[in-house]
Amino acid sequence: MSLERSDELVDPPTLRADGVWRRLRRDRFAVAGGIVVVLYILVALTAPLITRAAGVDPYTYDLASLDGRGAPAGGWGGISSDHWFGVQPLTGRDLFAIVLVGSRASLVVGLGATALSVALGTVLGLLAGWFGGAVDWVIARGIDVLIGLPALIFMIAVGAVAPAWLPRLLLLVLIIGFFGWTTIARVVRGQVMSLRSSGFVRASQALGAGHAQIIFRHLLPNLAATIVVFATIAIPGAIGAEAALSFLGVGVPAPTPSWGRSIGDAVTWFSVDPMYLVFPGAALFVLTLAFNAFGDGLRDALDPRTSRHSRRDRARRSPRGSGRTRTRDQSPRGAVA
Amino acid sequence: MALHHTSLTRRALVLSIPLAGLATALVGCNANNPKPGATSSSAAGSATSAAPASKGGTLRILTSSSAVNWDPAISQSLAITSLGLVQRRLTAWKVGSDGVTKVVPDLATDTGQVSADGKTWTFTLKDGLAFEDGNPITAADVKYSVERSFAPQLSGGLGYHKALLVGASDYSGPYDGKQLASVEAKDDKTLVFHLNSAYGDWPWIVSMPAFSAVPKAKDNVKTYTTTPVATGPYRVSKTVEGTSITLERNEHWDPKTDEARGGGPDSIIFQLGQDATVAAQRLIADSGDDQFAFGASFVPAAQLAQVQTSAAKDRLVTSGPGALAYLAINTQAKGLDDVKVRKAISLAVDRNAYRVAVGGEIAGEFADTLITPGIPGRKQYASLLKDVAPAGDPEQAKKLLAEAKWSGRTLKFAIADDAVSSAKAEAIQQGLKRAGLTVTIVPLADDVLTEATTQGDGSKYDLTLGSWQPDFPSANGNIQPLFASDQIGKGGYNISRYSNPKADELIKKATETTDPKESGALWAQADELINADAPVVPLIYTKNSFLHGSKVVGFAIPAFPAYPNYLTVSVAK
Repeated sequence: MSLERSDELVDPPTLRADGVWRRLRRDRFAVAGGIVVVLYILVALTAPLITRAAGVDPYTYDLASLDGRGAPAGGWGGISSDHWFGVQPLTGRDLFAIVLVGSRASLVVGLGATALSVALGTVLGLLAGWFGGAVDWVIARGIDVLIGLPALIFMIAVGAVAPAWLPRLLLLVLIIGFFGWTTIARVVRGQVMSLRSSGFVRASQALGAGHAQIIFRHLLPNLAATIVVFATIAIPGAIGAEAALSFLGVGVPAPTPSWGRSIGDAVTWFSVDPMYLVFPGAALFVLTLAFNAFGDGLRDALDPRTSRHSRRDRARRSPRGSGRTRTRDQSPRGAVA
Repeated sequence: MALHHTSLTRRALVLSIPLAGLATALVGCNANNPKPGATSSSAAGSATSAAPASKGGTLRILTSSSAVNWDPAISQSLAITSLGLVQRRLTAWKVGSDGVTKVVPDLATDTGQVSADGKTWTFTLKDGLAFEDGNPITAADVKYSVERSFAPQLSGGLGYHKALLVGASDYSGPYDGKQLASVEAKDDKTLVFHLNSAYGDWPWIVSMPAFSAVPKAKDNVKTYTTTPVATGPYRVSKTVEGTSITLERNEHWDPKTDEARGGGPDSIIFQLGQDATVAAQRLIADSGDDQFAFGASFVPAAQLAQVQTSAAKDRLVTSGPGALAYLAINTQAKGLDDVKVRKAISLAVDRNAYRVAVGGEIAGEFADTLITPGIPGRKQYASLLKDVAPAGDPEQAKKLLAEAKWSGRTLKFAIADDAVSSAKAEAIQQGLKRAGLTVTIVPLADDVLTEATTQGDGSKYDLTLGSWQPDFPSANGNIQPLFASDQIGKGGYNISRYSNPKADELIKKATETTDPKESGALWAQADELINADAPVVPLIYTKNSFLHGSKVVGFAIPAFPAYPNYLTVSVAK
């Protein structure tokens, strides 16, 4: 009975979908970000269909669209009715198709690597925070070491020695995911440590709940908001890391389109063909901006204390605003009583 | 400290160039990232005479290499590039007014006296030659220089002489006190070489770095590569590891004894580790010291396109068709041992896409034979690709593949992991795809790639890219290193692992023929025989493009080799 009650009280009000949605909807920047992200995902999923409908693909050479120097013939990077974004220098491949299909690598790596680092970070943070002692020491030192490593150099090195049979996209997910879990692990660990000493957790323990039950029924629900926000904000970082690795030539292997590699190529062509840099660059910029906007909005919606809307809210309806934050801390005490 | 750095540098060089006779080949492999020795140098003065158009000033050379290797035993420098500024050899290369490169006497008074049987060559040193410290150069110093090229700790240099000198196969350098009897210093001035067989191109061989002079007393295996004792117009005066090398005039060099070198600038500064793209941009901008500079690296495709429509066009120098760029097919790989499959690959390759990928028309001419233009004895014959369009013939290729019952397996295409190689490989990949051949590109680090293609059983690749310019203008240098069966897997550059007893026999016969006409005919015959087996797909005869600043004078590229002649470059006041 008391368990049931504490559950109800623990359920963080911030995760109630209607409240989150209401607050999120009010943040136009976040909504725009969310829409853009959804569009990108749709485009990535249907990229082959779109390119087929447009009669282009990112692999076919079109040497006729180049001049004798290998640069796109005609102005604006060879933009024409056949090639909406122009063509890639030295190959004449369609840049529209390259940018479109390139979104797949960015999103797969961005989402995959983030999922991996969130999973790793949550599990290890939970273990360290909950069990403390030797477990905590080992994990915390692991985090310290990983943070101390120059991640990019390490990623390049791992990329260089990885066996050829390992699919490159999977390798990128693994590498970027592996280097991304430390932040979230630290945050989760800190939160778990503070939750561990809170009344409702101690009460559950006193009532004989096992580790698993406490972790899954009490800790994780309380961490959910944090994890979701961190995941959203980590995605653009992972997309950027993929682009950086491809830029440096250790990312997705050619000819699979990748924005990072296109940008890397385009830099050397900038003075001859600036449009080559514009399209992949804009695609990457808009996607990371959209994820950041959406992530920020989501954080504000989930944790109104940090947002400007809620600051206004609180001023207006302060009893609810402050009461909410106290719920988590106070209610378990009631349960113990 | 200096010691440590030096050995590191050399080890890195040796790792990436583990074989003798590969200088230009490797340069060609990384067209945008030439190795130090083989490409960097400066040339001033006119192409016809070594006398500089202008004396004095400071010339700058922008190179992507992080070091220049000055040790003649491990250098692969051509006679007209970096090492030629500091070290003289028995013979040198001089570019005539017609652009033809001839071998001329350097330390020696002539290009050698040969015995009747063609096996003994005698050279006499000029009078009044001295090292930078003023000590006279003697025949013993040249003998010592040749001997140390055999030392295992100094491997990696051009090694054509190693197979030719009597008793050389069991010789391992002078550091254990042994001498090589077939290199004989009769007195202070006279040097005699005893060869295994007659060899008509010996005067060219003795223009290679190993035939410099090294004073035994000043030799240090570890430091000679950074602090050599100069015999040429310049001495190494200052080295800032990884950043720059400054050459100053060698006061003991007498221009009257040297017909190959101009000695124009007072000093020459190598700026190391310059990114090829950035260096090209700087030279296009032509501001400040860059006006007195030239780039030792090939101009990358993007900058080539940029230069061709800019005012810097006049300062772009493009060579004639030089190195043969080719696709090597591993003839020992499963299924590729069938000549029909190899012919199908040859027909499916899109040479046009390849050429566009390396910069378009300015990057070279379509190739179909193995001996490169400008080499005596080259003959145009009805080769497989002669009348095939540059874009290839995928339909014919499909037919051949069907006839050969090709398994349809995926081909592993091993390349260097840089953007230029990748662009080349993609062009090949899409061409082969048209005939239904699937290719996976496997980018490898330089030394891993060299190891995979030139060592072991070759099981790690089916296709790879090669580029080859002979180290001296003879068809021998085109054919023997690439197709003789003894060059497979032991560090040699037979990366298509082509083994044909008939070809081997022909190569041996042509090598031993001293009459140039006769040997030329034999080499042409070998070209045709080997090409019919399609172990490689000739892609283009590469043209190399270099940029120089507006105050650089006498910057010219001869017909052979396709590199600027550093020795005659000078700077305007």
